[in-house]
Parts: sequence; structure tokens; C-alpha cells
Amino acid sequence: MKPQPIWLAARRVMVMLVMLMPGILTLGGTAQADYPYTDASLRQPNVPQGTVSKYRWTDSKIYPGTERDYWIYVPAQYDPEKPACVMIFQDGRGYVNEKGHSRVPTVFDNLIHQGEMPVTIGIFINPGVVPPAKPGTAPRSNRSFEYDSLGDRYANFLIDEILPAVSEQYNLVDSANGRAVAGLSSGGICAFTVAWERPDHFSKVVSYIGSFTNIRGGHIYPALIRKTEAKPIRVFLQEGSNDLDNLHGNWPMANQQMSAALKFADYDHRFVMGDGGHSGQHGGAILPDILRWIWRDYPGVKQETQQ
Amino acid sequence: MKSLITIAALIFVAPTLLAQDMPLTQVLIKGQEWELVSKGHQFTDGLAADTKGNLYFTDVLGAANIYRIAPDGTQTTVYADAPRVSGMQLGPDGRIYACQGGSFGRIVAFDLQQKTMEVLAEGVKPNDLVVTREGHIYFTETPKRQVTHIAPGGKPEAVDVSKNKTGLLRPNGIALTPDQGTLSVSDSGGRHTWVFRIESNGKLAYRQPYITMRTPTPDLPSKGDGMTIDAVGRFYVTSAVGIQMFDPTGRMGGVILSPTNKPIVSVAFAGPDFSYLYVASGDEIYRRQTKTHGIAP
Repeated sequence: MKPQPIWLAARRVMVMLVMLMPGILTLGGTAQADYPYTDASLRQPNVPQGTVSKYRWTDSKIYPGTERDYWIYVPAQYDPEKPACVMIFQDGRGYVNEKGHSRVPTVFDNLIHQGEMPVTIGIFINPGVVPPAKPGTAPRSNRSFEYDSLGDRYANFLIDEILPAVSEQYNLVDSANGRAVAGLSSGGICAFTVAWERPDHFSKVVSYIGSFTNIRGGHIYPALIRKTEAKPIRVFLQEGSNDLDNLHGNWPMANQQMSAALKFADYDHRFVMGDGGHSGQHGGAILPDILRWIWRDYPGVKQETQQ
Repeated sequence: MKSLITIAALIFVAPTLLAQDMPLTQVLIKGQEWELVSKGHQFTDGLAADTKGNLYFTDVLGAANIYRIAPDGTQTTVYADAPRVSGMQLGPDGRIYACQGGSFGRIVAFDLQQKTMEVLAEGVKPNDLVVTREGHIYFTETPKRQVTHIAPGGKPEAVDVSKNKTGLLRPNGIALTPDQGTLSVSDSGGRHTWVFRIESNGKLAYRQPYITMRTPTPDLPSKGDGMTIDAVGRFYVTSAVGIQMFDPTGRMGGVILSPTNKPIVSVAFAGPDFSYLYVASGDEIYRRQTKTHGIAP
């Protein structure tokens, strides 16, 4: 084993604490303390920082009339001569926020610098809104229609509209192996749906507190997974025991069903159940480990940092 | 009303993680079942409220009358000789705007005080309609797979036509959001209820199958028929399995069971504070008290 930077060693201690934490916290009933962020989620000295630029997509053919903001993160290590991997985050505003639940630009900077994930362009995209035509009228939120619906409509939106637009500026990998999709809540099931429908384009899924419940029929995924030849998708699911239990379903049970189905069908998957509620905090805190896991065997990624 | 619009606007604007869930318990009152309020008709339809919470309805196939049920339950015949009237709504001028089908094929407006009727458009195949606060009329022409618009003082113009295997198979019920910025149309032959943005010139834009209906079996249509929307923007659509309720972002909140096993085709809020949900169920009219309120016309 090679000598490691001190912060990596410190991180391991923190990871152990995180693993012990749920048991400690549940002693207090439903107490939900924050999961601690590790060094990889904090700005480190001498780590080159990527850039984040904001854009607006107003010309969707697949979702006519919708407008939405999106952000592109480009790592400092990006070389236009070499195709970069891609990771697309739904509800992007929350992920790209440096003080948000996941702090993705910081995490990407640190992990790419350490060689723990490939050089990856991040796309952070918000759900669409149809703006009002007249003063005094409300916009139409398109989030549930886009995220909770099953089928390939949203996948095709990413493949046919967003990725080509980003590809005009940046050199992106073509293969599914270098493309990941992530989200939380309805964005979590959306991320799964994208890869489920188009595994030819996306091979890696990260879901926090995913809504695998009956908002628009997504509760059937465990049944579909068990009776479908396994698709080449790697899936990370985070869930909290105090997550929602409402008219759409029970989130902790739905995620356990997803995990059991993925295990039954022999998927490459991981499931982390904490004690949080319907929040991105736990998923965000462990995002560095999630990213190390989903990118662990990508060409060029360091192998020795596996847990 | 303004505060209710604000609430609705917030629901539309804030697609947060904790977007408000809207289960049936927010609407239904435990112990308050359907109560029969009118019977002895052939086929009731055209439910509409006035500003006082009176409910109007017709008997499409039976006696050609327009009836009124007061909030206290008293029933009166308010217009005689109005055959084949299906969809109705109170317009901003106080008249009852209506679809007159069958061989009539026209849009009419009844003045219940003067006992007069004006023909607004002929040569159409109307099923159900809405009238905006500015006096724009939108109606469904089910067999033509069309939504038609009449601007104030204008002529009927097609604003949405479905063809081939896409779009609406049988556009049927029609409703406006509380802010009247969005028009919604049910599809009795399909599986969705659709939404459109109403443009400044009254045209429709950005059609979307926003709501997925529950169907009796996977291969059967929804029978989505009469519609209404409450003050916070929930959609209520009569269907083969009951009255389906959806939140303002199109997520199902639940299915309210029909009062009987007869087909239900029209639904409206009326009564005290517009807090009673009325439904046309074959030869009868039922109502039940709710925790919510309809939109005063």
C-alpha cells in the first residue's frame, strides 16, 4: 500500500463515523442530525478549480414551451483533445450550489485532482417551466411530468437536445460507460428512468431519496427489474428511514424493494440506508464515496482508494 | 380570491423537493358521503354554479329544462324548452352559456331573467365549454377531435385539432385553472388529460399530456369526461373509475368513488362557499361536502 495524503486517511476515519452514525442517532428516536461532510466535499488548498457557467434552454422540441436554467461545470483538467466523461444532475441548481447538499463542483475538483474519478463535465439541469403568457397567470411546472413519468421522453430530451448543445462547446465521450445521471427525489427516479430506457447512452445512476413510488407509476420498477434481462446499468441508491410515507407510497420501503430487485437481477448496485428524511443532505455528504464507487473501474481512475 | 390565486401561484412556482402532497384527506370529510339531491331525470349533465352557489343542470335526454338547485337544496325549473343542452357555464355577463348538441349544433346563451336565448355560433358539434372572465368561449367538439375558441363577438375558430394516432382521441371535459392561464381538456377516448397555455390573443399553445388517468384496465380508455378545478388548482375529472383528482402539477391525489355504478359525466363545486362537490350520475344528481372550495364564476 502506497503512502497516502493525510486528508485521505482522515476521510477514512470520517467514513467509519458515518457508518456508525445511524445507530447512534436512532437512539434518540427520529433525531436526524446532519451527516458530516468529508474533506473531499470541502475546498482544499492547491486543488485546481473548474469553472461553472450558467445557460438557459428555451427551445425544447420534446417539451414545447418550456424554459429552464442549466449549468456546465468544466474541470481544470479538461483537455479539448480528449473526450471528457459526462454526469448530468437533475434539479441541477441544488447540486451545483457550492453551499448546497452536494457541492458537486468542489467534490469534482477534489476527486478529479486525486485521480479518483475521470475528467468529467458536469451538467446541472433544472426541470422545465412553461412561463405564463399573460400577466397575473402562473407558470406551469413541468417537473413532475418530466421526472415522474415512465418512458423515454426525458431520456430523449437529454440525448437529443441537451447533450448535442453541450457537445458543441465541449468534447464529450460517446459511450454509455463514460456517462452518468443523478438526481434526488423525483429526480432520482428520473435518473434511473433515463438509464433504464437508454442504457446505450447512460450506464451509471445515482439516486438520493428516489421517488420509486406511485407518483406516476414508478412503483412498478422493482417488478420490471426482476422480470427483465439485466441492463448494463450500475446503480447507487441512498435512502433514509425517516423519508416520506404519503399518498404516493413509502419511500424507505420503495427503495428497499428497488435494492432487493437489483440484487435479485444481479445488478452492480449499492444501497445506503441512513436515518434521514426527505433531504439531499445524507446523499450529498457521501457523494465523494458514491462517485469513487460508480467511477471505480473507469480507465485511468486510481484503483487503490477503494473502500 | 386573490390569496387563493397566490396559493395556486406558489404551488406552480415552487417545484421544491417537498412539493405539497395533496391526498384525498385534504378534500373529503370523514362521514360526509354522497347525498342524493335530485332524481327522476333521464340523463343529467351540464353542471354549473352561479355566483351565489346555486347549481344549474340539464336533462339532456329527458325534459328539456334547465334546473337550479339552491344551496338549501330547493330545486326550481329556470328555463323551459332547452333541449340537448350538455355543457353549461355562467358567463361574466350573468348569462348561462351552453352547448346545444344533436341536430342543433350550436353555442347559445340563456338569459334566465328575461327567459331569452341568443345563438352565438351554429354549425358546430359542441360537448362541453368554459367561458373566461374576459368572455372568451372554449368548447370541445368531440367527434371532430377539436377544441374551438370564440373570442368576444367573434366566430368559432379551431384552436386545437388532433389527427391520426396522436393527441386527443375524444376531447370532452374542459376547465380553466384559477388564474385562467391554463386550459385543461379531458379525453374520454384516451389515457390523459391535457393542458394548454392560453395565449394573449386567446389561441392555445404548448399542448401536453400533463395528467395520466387511471383506467379500468391497461387497454381501456379513461372515459375522462366532465371536469372542474378547485380554488387551489386541483383537477377533478369524471372517469370510468370515479372522479379522479390531481394536484396542480398533474400528480394523482386520489380517486373519489362514484355515488352509484351509473356513468358520471359532469362535476362542479357549488353550494355554501362552493364547498360542495356535485356530480351528474345518470338520472340523478348527488353532492357531498368537502374541505375545499370551487372557483366562484
